[in-house]
Amino acid sequence: MSALLKGLSSVLATNLIKFESLFISNRTLQFSVKSVSAPKNYFRLGQPAFSFHSSVSRRGLEEFFDDKKNWGELEVKVGRSWRVDELRIKSNEDLHKLWYVLLKEKNMLLTMEHASQEECRLFPNPERIDKVEESMNNLERVVRERNRAYFLLETGETGERPCSRVTDPLGRSYTMQYTEHFVPIYMNRRASKKHVHRGAAVVRFRRQMKEKAFLEKKRYYNRVRNHVCQLLRRFPELDEEAIQQQYPEVNLTRLRRMKYSRGHHLYNEG
Amino acid sequence: MSTRWYPKYITGNPQLRVFLPNFFMKLVKPEVPQLPNVVQFKVSMQMTKHDVKNYLEKIYSVKVESVVTHVRMGKFSRNAVGGYVIKDDDFKLAYVTLPKDEKFEFPNLFPEEKEKELDKQKEQLNTLKDEWKMITTKNKHRQGVPSWLGI
Repeated sequence: MSALLKGLSSVLATNLIKFESLFISNRTLQFSVKSVSAPKNYFRLGQPAFSFHSSVSRRGLEEFFDDKKNWGELEVKVGRSWRVDELRIKSNEDLHKLWYVLLKEKNMLLTMEHASQEECRLFPNPERIDKVEESMNNLERVVRERNRAYFLLETGETGERPCSRVTDPLGRSYTMQYTEHFVPIYMNRRASKKHVHRGAAVVRFRRQMKEKAFLEKKRYYNRVRNHVCQLLRRFPELDEEAIQQQYPEVNLTRLRRMKYSRGHHLYNEG
Repeated sequence: MSTRWYPKYITGNPQLRVFLPNFFMKLVKPEVPQLPNVVQFKVSMQMTKHDVKNYLEKIYSVKVESVVTHVRMGKFSRNAVGGYVIKDDDFKLAYVTLPKDEKFEFPNLFPEEKEKELDKQKEQLNTLKDEWKMITTKNKHRQGVPSWLGI
């Protein structure tokens, strides 16, 4: 815990005014303000940080509830979530500790939210849950990045879960993620039986699915074309390059010649 | 390896460890009165009894005697506008028994003192609203005329 808090104070030291640079809860924030006089060295910590303690260690089931002074409040002010760049400079150990801090915070917020729902009240500042979740996502992203780098270095592979693009019996393609099995597929008699659907119903279904996709695409193109025609009609001296960049699927020179895109104004006279 | 994909466990191998658990646990107020050392939780659907026990003991350092879990069905209701049926998600409840000598009582999260303060604030706001209404309706037909011109 202490190592993590050291990390927090180092983040603070980089920007003295940035009080809300750490998000755990407002009680930690109060103490973080005190550490404003931290040393200027960003990555190595001096003496004050070692005697830095942010929150009172509350143990047990009390941790599922918010600070007592926030009970029944209409507004609870907190800082922002952890950013990816801030998490990247933390060690694995610190990240591991921070995960549990965030997890506890999330449980606390969910408990309080549920309690206020039961009492038919508004939960103060519900965006706190989003902030914690965003921090957790960012943390997981950083861990994943490190995992990838490690695996690429050691094995030459990403170490991600292998997947491939396959088509299902109805002809729709999807990404299948591979799962581990106790026996290889050639030893598994049930799995190795191929289920191929070639009935008349399946053929009809595939044809209709294709037709639907085709019509959707066609309608989309028509919609864009009509829109561009209207634009040309209303604003004849239009920047053609910009239009072409925005709607790359239309042929502008061809649309210019269409009757639909000619307006009743002086531009088209003669 | 992705952080959320664990290899298959085969007996004899070392046990799988979860480094970044994403389970949640909500401490909820029991609808039916429980024994003083029983705490009720709403937990992630995937959690087992062992998970609940380990979660509380390792992360919160709470001693756990036993755990009972139930999966409850979400409530059905009808939409007020469309009239179609809505079903809430199913959820898992965990009844955690603490050691004999420990007690837990669900705290009152909405203390009365704060309530009174809020009521006072509401009253003040209402009086302000009334005053504002008085002022705005008074000069309704003579807009733009300074106040000292009136009788």
